Amino acid sequence: MILIGEDLNVMSGEISRVIKEREPGPIQQCVAAQTKNGMDYLDVNVGPVKKDPEGTMEWLINTVQEVTDLPLCLDTTNPLAMEAGLKFCKSKALLNSASGATESMETMLPLAAKYSADVVLSVINDAGLPSDADERAASIMESAAVANELGIANENIWVDPVLLPIGVDQRQVTSYLEFIQMLQDLLPGAKSTCGLSNLSYGAPKELKSLLNRTFLVMIGRYGQHSAIVSGFDRELIRLIRGEVPEMVELIYRAMDEENMDISALPQKELEYVKTVQVLMGKSLYSHSWLEV
Amino acid sequence: MMKYEPPLEKISVNIRETVVGHGEKALKIGGENTLPFHFFEGSLPNPPGLALEILDTEPENWAPSVLEPFEDVVSDPVKWAKKCVEVFGAEMLCLRLLSADPMGKNGSAEEAAEITKIVADAVDVPLIVWGTDMEEKDAQVLTQVARACSGKNLLLAPLVKGNYEEIAKAAMEHGHAIVAQASMDANLTKELNIALCKFFPPEKIVIDPTASALGYGLEYTFSIIEEIKQFGLADKDKMMQMPILCDFGGDCWRTKEAKENREQGILWEAITGITFILAGANLLILRHPEALKLIKEMVV
Repeated sequence: MILIGEDLNVMSGEISRVIKEREPGPIQQCVAAQTKNGMDYLDVNVGPVKKDPEGTMEWLINTVQEVTDLPLCLDTTNPLAMEAGLKFCKSKALLNSASGATESMETMLPLAAKYSADVVLSVINDAGLPSDADERAASIMESAAVANELGIANENIWVDPVLLPIGVDQRQVTSYLEFIQMLQDLLPGAKSTCGLSNLSYGAPKELKSLLNRTFLVMIGRYGQHSAIVSGFDRELIRLIRGEVPEMVELIYRAMDEENMDISALPQKELEYVKTVQVLMGKSLYSHSWLEV
Repeated sequence: MMKYEPPLEKISVNIRETVVGHGEKALKIGGENTLPFHFFEGSLPNPPGLALEILDTEPENWAPSVLEPFEDVVSDPVKWAKKCVEVFGAEMLCLRLLSADPMGKNGSAEEAAEITKIVADAVDVPLIVWGTDMEEKDAQVLTQVARACSGKNLLLAPLVKGNYEEIAKAAMEHGHAIVAQASMDANLTKELNIALCKFFPPEKIVIDPTASALGYGLEYTFSIIEEIKQFGLADKDKMMQMPILCDFGGDCWRTKEAKENREQGILWEAITGITFILAGANLLILRHPEALKLIKEMVV
């Protein structure tokens, strides 16, 4: 599983401020820490960068690359900032993101082709977010065909099925699971990614990681290639890196709905099993899903 | 030749049966093990409960045609209650404690409890007691009501995330049922029920998904009721197996159509009510006696 660290993000007020004031310290600290924690890529989320997109990106990408050799995942909605960023990346970058919406395909896909970058392609299109797995399939087939025509091979496309918060729409979570199992038949060779933290948006703070990491193990089993995750979530990293194989095994067994004596499980194991059940849509989600 | 037998879906669990009131006139709601009107698949032992609402204060801004049936009694909640029972045949009442509303008269919790006690003693039908819809005030008002009417098995409403603990504890101590309210969201409904069931008996909980009348988003309410019922019955989710209440008279009689024309108003309310029963509602709070009559003719 390729892990993309999400923490360099202008949504954090502090990061936003230090970018504006060209203060490299906190940025480099964030980058170095995520690198040390074992991320494979680093997401650089700069938002729309309305002011001086070229200058900002040049400074930021260079600042980041001074302390890490990891490839970067450039996350901006501004094509000018995106192009500036791509120019300064030392290793093959990941453009985050394009979607099936006409405007995005017309601006972002040609950039990915021009700079031979990999590209995150989401299932969103002009009609918005598809409501189930089949609609996701139809949407991604159309946009991938456009990308292919521009010379972007399936192997360079990182499909984003779009993960919604489980507290907002549990059915979207189950249709994600359904879709990710179909992906290799639809687009052989294509990669995949998702914004994992979105899953637990709105959930109790202390339970977010449990939802995120359990889901990541589940989709990993279904062939998920990568995910954008918190580079500081140690439990997630340990689980995904195979340091707790017995828990991964347990998650698989819960996915298979194997008969288990739930009452005999220790607390931690029980929590994973219950979490798998809500993520699979077997029981209705509520913030206190562990207490039932 | 073999006779064709249509397959039937057998559901192995029931919606809990909740009793409101005490004595001979106590009413049971819920208890079904199938979807609404699916008599061919399972049993629905109790018809939907239909309550008429009364206020503890003279109503302001009520449309003339919904005020008309009560004109001679609105100044006295006891007379109002008796008229609903004796003249309009109400088998359940909902007393709204408007007098305690912090945005209005802001009467004390003790006064509200006193009025409730007087009304509850005057009639023998079950009573829903509706607070002010203000979290903090309801915590005071409904706990006082619970105490004053100990043993009467009132249905106290609404309990929300911010005040359920105090009210439910008082309800339990004094033998009342409660309405758990979460706004149009199955996940939050479950959340509140889980929290309540840690100490409160589940068979004394009624769910209020906050109903919106025709023209206010009825279709959302419909879907939420359906969803809750499906989770409870098909998925056997114990936290979703409580009967469902809908309260929408205020919405209906605020519409231009209802204000302008008596028949339109009555139909507006009756159609809204019938629709919710079709979705799976177990208890309706109604404002106009003619709407009550229409619904009764259709379903009971």
